[in-house]
Amino acid sequence: MSDAEILSYITFAYFFSFLAYLLMMVMGREAFGRAATIITLAGLIGHSMGLIYRWVESYRIGIGHAPLSNLYESLIFFAWAIILLYLLIEWRTRNRSVGVFITPIAFLAMAYASYSPNINSRIQPLVPALKSNWLIAHVLTCFLGYAAFALAFCLSLMYFFKRMDKPSGKNLFVKLIPGTSILDDLNYQMVAIGFLLLTLGIITGSVWAHSAWGTYWSWDPKETWSLITWLVYAAFLHSRMVRGWRGKRLAILSIVGFSCVLFTYFGVNYLAGLHSYAT
Amino acid sequence: MPKKHDKEKGSPFWDFFTSVRLTIVILILLAVASVAGTLIPQREEAARIAHEMSPAMVQLFETLQLFDVYHSFWFRIIIAALGLNLLICSIDRFPSAWKRFKGSDGLERTAVFKDVPSHRIFSVSTGKEETSSRISQWFHRHFRRIRIKNGSQEDVLYAEKGRYSHFGVYLVHLSVIFILLGGMIGSFVGFEANVNIPEGETVDTVFLRRNGHPVELGFAVQCRSFTVEFYDNGAPKEYKSELIFLENGKPVLDTPVLVNHPVSFRGITFYQSSYGSMAGDKILLRISKDGSGKGDSLVEVKKGDSFPLPDQDGKFMVSDVRADFMRLGPAAQIQVQPPSGEPVLFWIFLNRDAIEKMVPGLFEKSPRFNYQAYRPYSFFMQKAETKYYTGLQVNRDPGVPFVWIGCIMMICGFFLTFFSSHRRVWVKVSEKDGNVKVRVVGRSNKNPVGMERELDSVTESLRNLTQ
Repeated sequence: MSDAEILSYITFAYFFSFLAYLLMMVMGREAFGRAATIITLAGLIGHSMGLIYRWVESYRIGIGHAPLSNLYESLIFFAWAIILLYLLIEWRTRNRSVGVFITPIAFLAMAYASYSPNINSRIQPLVPALKSNWLIAHVLTCFLGYAAFALAFCLSLMYFFKRMDKPSGKNLFVKLIPGTSILDDLNYQMVAIGFLLLTLGIITGSVWAHSAWGTYWSWDPKETWSLITWLVYAAFLHSRMVRGWRGKRLAILSIVGFSCVLFTYFGVNYLAGLHSYAT
Repeated sequence: MPKKHDKEKGSPFWDFFTSVRLTIVILILLAVASVAGTLIPQREEAARIAHEMSPAMVQLFETLQLFDVYHSFWFRIIIAALGLNLLICSIDRFPSAWKRFKGSDGLERTAVFKDVPSHRIFSVSTGKEETSSRISQWFHRHFRRIRIKNGSQEDVLYAEKGRYSHFGVYLVHLSVIFILLGGMIGSFVGFEANVNIPEGETVDTVFLRRNGHPVELGFAVQCRSFTVEFYDNGAPKEYKSELIFLENGKPVLDTPVLVNHPVSFRGITFYQSSYGSMAGDKILLRISKDGSGKGDSLVEVKKGDSFPLPDQDGKFMVSDVRADFMRLGPAAQIQVQPPSGEPVLFWIFLNRDAIEKMVPGLFEKSPRFNYQAYRPYSFFMQKAETKYYTGLQVNRDPGVPFVWIGCIMMICGFFLTFFSSHRRVWVKVSEKDGNVKVRVVGRSNKNPVGMERELDSVTESLRNLTQ
């Protein structure tokens, strides 16, 4: 069985964990929640093993490199980072309701990577520009940051669900979602972590670009869009920390920020640029 | 005292630049301008859409510098405004952060002991003095800046940590200014240039990327060799130039340059950026006299060298070699000097047969391309030597260290801002009717949840100390 095959099965694990989280939210039964956590954790373990297997496999065929070098590998890592970060939060907050929002994102990333005809899952050798120690640091920080922003995005969606049901508070699904102030706080924490990681990602990218392309900043569309994303989240942090914004407006900014993340990741491929190996 | 700082605040200029609303507006403006820059083709690519637009439109775009957004005057004004906003906000707010950093004497704040929650009050079996001294020892191990006030009925202990977190934001702001400064230095003092060096050749001048103007390096660079390796699937594996740096004609440094492994010499950095192949100096010629193929002579000739014709009735030389002449592939220019009269010039092609098939009669009709222009001889190009040239990017950017210092400062600033907080703890040990009680309270500049957790653990530790 190839590594890509193993990873394609993980797609289903996340689909089933989504179903279990959904059942928990709709039926309000703790057992489904526990099952969901177990499936997700099992998925993450399998996912990690698939990644390691792919890494080892690349060395076996003589073109060894970390599995972080093209769109397929980045999607797989993105999903991995999302699930890892989510499970940490579930464990810290002892609340499973984020799961029903976040697992579909991981599922979609895995499904897109594994089943889209446009994505090549073969292990490919690195072209000269990618042969750098900065590859791992850059991709790792960027995608962990994206995962934190994905969680912030889910928390913002949950904020709107919670608010919509505010006067009655009877809807079971919404009842399991934590209070708006907790959501707001978590949203901020995720954005702060994501912002730090995105900054590290941009910096490691600049250091790398400086040695590969001779300039630390060249206004390549991906660079520019990562800056746009950075500016949006910087606006988020300033409006919260200095102007004291809370709640709805921050939730909107967080959603706008995540749309920028998605555009930086996927949309930019439609604009030509230096990052073309990520397509 | 506070009046002193308020003085400048009256001016509308100061008020305008101290507003965080302005910061948010600038951030959004920068974001919108950047989006425009990624949607409108920039610089070299601008020509692609320019000829589909009306001249008036092109004129408008040019005036607004929309084809080079990131280097336009208005983009620079936004960035300058951001720098100014950061600087002025920081100057405006720094004194109060400094005050919080220095801290007033915590012992004076007795109001903190109002409404201490019951789980932060406990009785101890040890005496008042003993309790205070144990707590003070514990504080000395876990906190900074401990103050103690002993009284007859009660002792108050004050301790704090993480006061540097007040500076996190300023460090981040300063880092942005450093990065902008580094960028400015780079664009004013530095340059970005390119140069192609054929294998075996030496250059001492490079050409600016922006306008092609030559820049003298002050030393010379020779390309000893260029190699390119491919993977089995045809993807490139490695580009490598072996360079020799020469000063006053003497080699000083002999080093390879690869993608991701640039080389700096005298403050100028050389990056492997492209390569290409070009005609070498040597070609293999076949010279035929009667067209029968018998008695043909094969000679390897170097560009510029003069050779006698096989029958000594004149001389010829290869005056030019091109890797791709008029899109017809490799070609060489032959110059024949008859014993008397004007020289005869014509081009011969490596792909003669293919060209003949494509454009029948080309060679007969135009004397410029006629390989039989000097009868009775026919000249055939048998082999063309090709050699690589390496394309190097040549940069000088003294602003780079500022940018890296700024990046490091920014990360340190983030850690201070997001993950540390100024935590202050007060403990009161009071004695009433022989009964000793301890009260624990605390304040933090951010993360109240974390502070509660910290107070829980402080209370727990102190309780264990005094049992």
